[in-house]
Amino acid sequence: MVAVAVASTTAISFANAEQVPITGTVQSRCIIQTDTAGTYGNPNAYTLTTAAQDGGDAAVVRYDVSLADAYYAEITPPTAFSSAPNLPDQVTWAGSVSVKTVSDATGMGTYEADKLEVGDTDRYDLTATGSTWFAIESTATMGGNKAFAGGTYTAVAEAVCIAK
Amino acid sequence: MKMLKYIIVGLLLALPVQAHEMVPTYPRLEISHMDGLLKTTMKMFNKRADVEYYEVGVFDKNFEPVPFVTAYNVFKLEYLGHVTFDIYIRARDKERAVYVCSKSKLRKGSNTNTPISSKICSKFEDKR
Repeated sequence: MVAVAVASTTAISFANAEQVPITGTVQSRCIIQTDTAGTYGNPNAYTLTTAAQDGGDAAVVRYDVSLADAYYAEITPPTAFSSAPNLPDQVTWAGSVSVKTVSDATGMGTYEADKLEVGDTDRYDLTATGSTWFAIESTATMGGNKAFAGGTYTAVAEAVCIAK
Repeated sequence: MKMLKYIIVGLLLALPVQAHEMVPTYPRLEISHMDGLLKTTMKMFNKRADVEYYEVGVFDKNFEPVPFVTAYNVFKLEYLGHVTFDIYIRARDKERAVYVCSKSKLRKGSNTNTPISSKICSKFEDKR
């Protein structure tokens, strides 16, 4: 009797077994990865800069593309503070973007030479698949050599990936 | 030397990263269940721990806004969260509408000096 009961329980357990599907889709995409958020150094009273020799760090953004010749990368260094203490004068902004590292030196080797500068924005034609790291440098200089007030300064760089 | 370069790239790829992702790259506008409206479906994935909100927009070839409807123009997407959302545009705007973009919304009190705002723009398939 017990043996019959155990056998039927086992049969019920097997009857309840389910298969769980795991699905995925592979499709072309552009992924923007914020690799390193930058830091401003303060080499003198009136300058904030991401330059390494002045104690700063450049922001680094990485683009991963899985379809060749399908995307543009447009990167704009900061042109204003998004938050800051009171500013005693006008701030002058300077910035630059450059290719830092590439995953495919052959296919991506000309990215920097071929980039298009439109105003403050640098446009790169992502002609190869893989990863590209871009360094974003930024310098803010207070007018009249006036000092930046003590506090935290934040300025936003923009990284855009546009389908062609 | 070439091997060293591969090792450096490999190490960089292995570092923890914060990513913003939206697919498809070339969405297709289809007839919706409502008269005069076309629909497309987009998917997003948030791997940016520093971003909780994203804004969606539809734009013409000059990045001028095109009217559209979606559940939320600005929506919350938790870290490692996925979302699928529908975008509706008027059939008469079909020729104007070129891009669907999603943009990260950064908090004002960010802990970093130069946070990065990310924006991904897909292009409607018939505009390729």
